[in-house]
Amino acid sequence: MDDDGPVIETKGLRKEFPGLVAVDSLDLRVARGTLYGLIGPNGSGNTTAIKVIVGLMRASAGEARGLGERVPLRTNRHRLGYMPQDIAIYPDLTVRENLEFFAGLYSIPKPRIGSRTEEVLKVVDLLDRKDGLVSQLSGGMRHRVSLACALVHDPEVLFLDEPTVGIDPELRVGFWRFFQDLKSKGKTIVLTTHYMDEAVRCDVVGMMRGGRLIAEGTPSSLMAETGRGNLEDAFLEFAGRVVA
Amino acid sequence: MRLDRTLVVAKKTLRSLRHDRRTVAFVVLVPLLMIALFGYTFGGELKDVKVSIVDLDQGVLGNSLGKAISNDLANSSTLMIMEHYGPGQANASKADAAIGQVKDGKVWAAVVFEEGFSASVLEAIFNMTHGLTVEQAPIKVYLDSSNPNIAQAVSQEVQAAMQRVLVNQYHLVPPIVLDSEQVYGKGAEFIDFFAPGVMGLAAMMVTFMLSIVSFVHERSSFTLERVLTSPISEGEFVAGYALAFGLVGLAQSLVILTTAVLLFDVRIVGSPILVLLVIFLLAVGMQGLGFLLSSRAKSEFQAIQFLPLVLFPSILLAGVFWPLEAVPALLRPISNFIPLTYAVDACRSIMIRGWGIEKVWPSMLILTLFAAAMLALSAYGLKKRG
Repeated sequence: MDDDGPVIETKGLRKEFPGLVAVDSLDLRVARGTLYGLIGPNGSGNTTAIKVIVGLMRASAGEARGLGERVPLRTNRHRLGYMPQDIAIYPDLTVRENLEFFAGLYSIPKPRIGSRTEEVLKVVDLLDRKDGLVSQLSGGMRHRVSLACALVHDPEVLFLDEPTVGIDPELRVGFWRFFQDLKSKGKTIVLTTHYMDEAVRCDVVGMMRGGRLIAEGTPSSLMAETGRGNLEDAFLEFAGRVVA
Repeated sequence: MRLDRTLVVAKKTLRSLRHDRRTVAFVVLVPLLMIALFGYTFGGELKDVKVSIVDLDQGVLGNSLGKAISNDLANSSTLMIMEHYGPGQANASKADAAIGQVKDGKVWAAVVFEEGFSASVLEAIFNMTHGLTVEQAPIKVYLDSSNPNIAQAVSQEVQAAMQRVLVNQYHLVPPIVLDSEQVYGKGAEFIDFFAPGVMGLAAMMVTFMLSIVSFVHERSSFTLERVLTSPISEGEFVAGYALAFGLVGLAQSLVILTTAVLLFDVRIVGSPILVLLVIFLLAVGMQGLGFLLSSRAKSEFQAIQFLPLVLFPSILLAGVFWPLEAVPALLRPISNFIPLTYAVDACRSIMIRGWGIEKVWPSMLILTLFAAAMLALSAYGLKKRG
């Protein structure tokens, strides 16, 4: 694919469940190397949108493309990383075994798995706990293992669904620093969050409400457009305009 | 389909089990307990069944058939004679007392020889040899048939004793003799018959249970979602689980075979490798079925509810403890749809008859088709999600 083209692109994406339209007419373009925040309250459809893009759900209408390939991806799956909202790792395996498992799924060559596991564990600061069972780790540590599992195959695009829910403020700051660090290495990150104060650290923010994208832009441009001093108020302003 | 990714899933599944000591104990101890318990309880023959004998027979010219049969019964290891009233002391009230013992549950049976028993038998023999009407002489047996096995054993013992006495003491040899030759299973005991059944049942039970719980856990903890965003295909994922649980089934079968051979002297006439292969196929199929059913469950609690639905028909209708011929005709078609039926039949044929693959292949083919269908449906079910 063309390196200048969007890494993620959706056109008129729609996902329906019986009696509910979760995502409606979603047009997204995420450029390479962007930290993109899909923000909105619970039920706004941002998690569903990500699930359709990573291939966990089928779109009811419209289309989505990841790295130039139409989803559900076949050839480009190994270039994507996904961290679900729930911790989603195996509690009855050790930290290292979890990482080795996910590395194996991406067919990382065996000699490389060991070193890659060490590298990632160093990043999330869990090297000394690598042989401990996940079930014996604290909640914060499990979050870090979960993130490490999404990174172990060194993906170009990382989807993080509510990565900072349920973690303490210190770890939250650490995570954001780490996302910035990944971005500086050329990675593209798409994350969902309903913490609007955090989203200000994203390059581009897409505001979702009722399954629709109601506004998109840099945090400063969105705040400027509404004349509000924070993203939360800006979101409420855009939401009010849609209702009006 | 890439083997390396399938192996990664199998390795992960086995590693998870390894860290969970209670589950490892469950996997190893359940088959061990099953074969040991079934072996000791079902494998034993009836012994020391309490009976009383009332011998009122006066005999003929000093020869009493009642006494001869009573003595023969006293030597039986199946029976334990609690009261034996001989001709000198016996009278009708003693017979009533013995029947009372049956009614009180103190003995299982009272065997009563009437006063003219020997005379009636001799008369019957005379009439038979002279072409006259024969009136059979009865041995009265008052039975507590609340336990059919015991009642049957008592009747058989009395009949056998009667025949032995007629042949040995009166040289009355029956004109017809049953000349049976054991084509298979020479010296086989009941445990030889049900050990293969228990092996299949244990492998089936444990792999089905592990599979159903593991998969619900994969879904409820969202690890499945994460896995399915990776390059692994649904088929590779299901196959990885199948391989892991197939190996668990194999390990269990080894435990059972070893226990059966060492503790109960079960003989394996055919190839043990072939037996293990049959169990592997069954375990893979049951793992697939577990996968398939658990996708219909929202929680582990709901998933567990499938267990009795699958296990009870298998235990009762697959010929594990009694032959399929003992299954009522109405239910027998169901037996044909139970995979365990084919596994047990194949294992039994290999272990007791010594059959090779050239004879058990139809059962193995059915098990292979079952396993393939379950895996394909499980993979398809995963693909159709969302």
